[in-house]
Amino acid sequence: MSAARETLFWHYRHRSAAALAAHQAGVPVVGYTSNTVPWELIRAAGCFPLLLSPDVDKLNEPTPLADVWMEPVFDSRIRSVFDGILADAWPYLKLLIIPRTSEPEYKLYLYLREVARQELSKNVPPLHLYDLLHTRSPISRGYGLARTEELKLRLEVRPEALEKAVDESNRARIALRGLQRLRTERPSKISGTDALRISSAFYFMERGAYTDLVNQVCEDANSAPALEGPRLLMKGMPLHHPGLHQALEAQDAVVIAEDDWWGTRAGGANISGFDVDSVFAKYYLDEPSPRVWPASAADSWFEDTLKAGVDGVVFYLPPDDDVYGWDYPRQRDFVHARGIPSLLIKEDASRDLSVEATAELKRFVEAIKHGG
Amino acid sequence: MAVEKQLESTRAASEHQKAWFANLRREVFEEKKPYAIAQADMPLELFQVMDVPVISNQWWSAVVAAKQLSAYYLDSLNALGYHEGLCRYCSLSLASSIAGDPGKAPWGGLPKPAVLAARLTCDCIQRVFETWAASFGAQFVPLDSAGATHLPPRWWELSRHRWSELFEPHRLDLMTQQMEVLIRVLEQKTGRTFSETRLLELMEGVNRQEEYFEEVRDLICSAPQTPVRMNEQVTNVMTTQWHRGSDWAVNHARAFRDEVKQRVAQGIAAYPGEKRRLMWVGAGLWHDTDFYTAFEESHGAVFVWSMYLAFGPDGYIRYGLDDPMRALASRVVSMNEQLHNPPWANEWIVDQARRHRIEGAVILVPHGSRPSATGTFFIERALEQAGIPTLEIWADMVDGRRWDSQSMRQRVARFVETRM
Repeated sequence: MSAARETLFWHYRHRSAAALAAHQAGVPVVGYTSNTVPWELIRAAGCFPLLLSPDVDKLNEPTPLADVWMEPVFDSRIRSVFDGILADAWPYLKLLIIPRTSEPEYKLYLYLREVARQELSKNVPPLHLYDLLHTRSPISRGYGLARTEELKLRLEVRPEALEKAVDESNRARIALRGLQRLRTERPSKISGTDALRISSAFYFMERGAYTDLVNQVCEDANSAPALEGPRLLMKGMPLHHPGLHQALEAQDAVVIAEDDWWGTRAGGANISGFDVDSVFAKYYLDEPSPRVWPASAADSWFEDTLKAGVDGVVFYLPPDDDVYGWDYPRQRDFVHARGIPSLLIKEDASRDLSVEATAELKRFVEAIKHGG
Repeated sequence: MAVEKQLESTRAASEHQKAWFANLRREVFEEKKPYAIAQADMPLELFQVMDVPVISNQWWSAVVAAKQLSAYYLDSLNALGYHEGLCRYCSLSLASSIAGDPGKAPWGGLPKPAVLAARLTCDCIQRVFETWAASFGAQFVPLDSAGATHLPPRWWELSRHRWSELFEPHRLDLMTQQMEVLIRVLEQKTGRTFSETRLLELMEGVNRQEEYFEEVRDLICSAPQTPVRMNEQVTNVMTTQWHRGSDWAVNHARAFRDEVKQRVAQGIAAYPGEKRRLMWVGAGLWHDTDFYTAFEESHGAVFVWSMYLAFGPDGYIRYGLDDPMRALASRVVSMNEQLHNPPWANEWIVDQARRHRIEGAVILVPHGSRPSATGTFFIERALEQAGIPTLEIWADMVDGRRWDSQSMRQRVARFVETRM
């Protein structure tokens, strides 16, 4: 494995390491909880932006502090973030920005406010609700832009710093699109498991260094052996772990894309300008969120990718899911109408899949191989 | 066995709702009059002003559940590929339209509406309503839901007069703008013009109605024993709320108040053997409403409180109606925060428990149904700290498939015996 790839994997595993180093170097760290918080505004405020997420090997650890307050309807990622904050896993946060990107995140904001108000924990950092709405309407757009201006004011962003941050971030997005091309070209030159880890590291590193490493991986991969096997697209609950990719690729499939902010859609399109309007437009129109409405807007990336050519689709709806399952019948029908096979996985793939689920994956991949 | 209704108001409310629905079906089928399906936390007043009858998603869901059809429709929904872990309270009505035999639904099922509308609180709502609208070939109007950041704990002391500040100007701007879009759609569907004067009259009517409910609430608080069972409170209040502010609603609220007042004056208790006062925290257990009277004879334990009556005065009354649209926006913009999220839900429920002399609280923790499944542990802790014992009931409001009626009754009985 190349040194570049190894470094990116290391940051994927040790998600707060770069932030801690920045903090130790005297750089303020601002946390956020989802892909829809403008990284560039935080960066332009002279801070290190850190997506709060437990390390991969700690994803299934108990969350005793969160369990006191959070009902079972909260998914494991939000529960882990809540537990981590209460456990003082990120004591250096100057501010935590929580977007209105999903209902669980809004509730996380309310719960943290309440924990702080009742003085149930001293570990809650200052909070900011970034009230970005995702319905595609002029009213929601105007509302979101105003909230983005508010965030800019709170962070004390300087215009010249914003230009630099946008440029830094756009270069990382370009690198990510290069990485994605290695997956979608025939044959693929990088596995989905590796690509997911590299894409996800986007949220945990300083982006200048990140860009250099991803470019290096792409350059190295050009001479890598071709990856043959059924080419799969992933859809469903976001994958902040590589478990399902590993299980599929162990059956000689190749995951070439995932409609998911941790994977293929981590970078997305570039920000088109250096002002707040452009930054807002990127997050409002291009970032995935479970609240994007109408469904035609939410589905467009998936449908376009499907039409570009895949051999199969794997839907992932683990027990945590109570949102994406509403989309499944519609998307499954869309897939089947194009003669593309699909498989639904309902187990939690961050743990070892059951023998039955593994056999099902194997049958699915084999059937595609044999044109079934 | 179902307990006999004690109040004439309750019979009148049930009859009104049945007649209203029969009339609605006749108007829709024969006269092609437009009607709407809307989420319960919508500004239903706008539909009233436009003379567009509304069926609330939650009301219909409760009706389907009460007819013991939830298992049939939810199983049918699952068979279509919607998995078992999805929210049931907000989707049972959808299921009755798209899964299984829609004709098996109460009164032959819902006809095609002119429009569906919902506030997008949890992430499921837009999906449920968009799917539903597509199945009918009808338009869906979503009202996006902004987050609250100004959260003074004792919100009910501010909501009547200082609502503009309490609910944050930018959130009210957003909701008002979205309501204007909804009005344009309703104007288009009906060919009628919206009247702000009529909205103002309706808003004043809602205030009068809720003031009557407040009197009922005060009577329940102060009477030695509750004069009206929780089930009958709910029937009277919710039937009225679906038509709130109308002449019928105001008159019915007054009649309800008069009847309860008379019962108190005559020393009539809903259950004369009342020894212990229970509160029900959460949405109703619509598939087993007899549950609420099951502990009277055996333990003298009476459910005297649910959010349905209590929320009327605190959640709906708005004084200072210079801008009725904005006042209406303030009524709906934070309903979920008020009822189901910290700090507002826990602070309010403890205050209510104290005022109602509650001795034990049974808290519904839904398996799904995210909008009403949060805040419950904060509520539980707050009640316990206030000296009020609590019991968690893990169940669904409309899905009786996993509900073990007997063992649940045994649990509550033990709770009454050991903790109250």
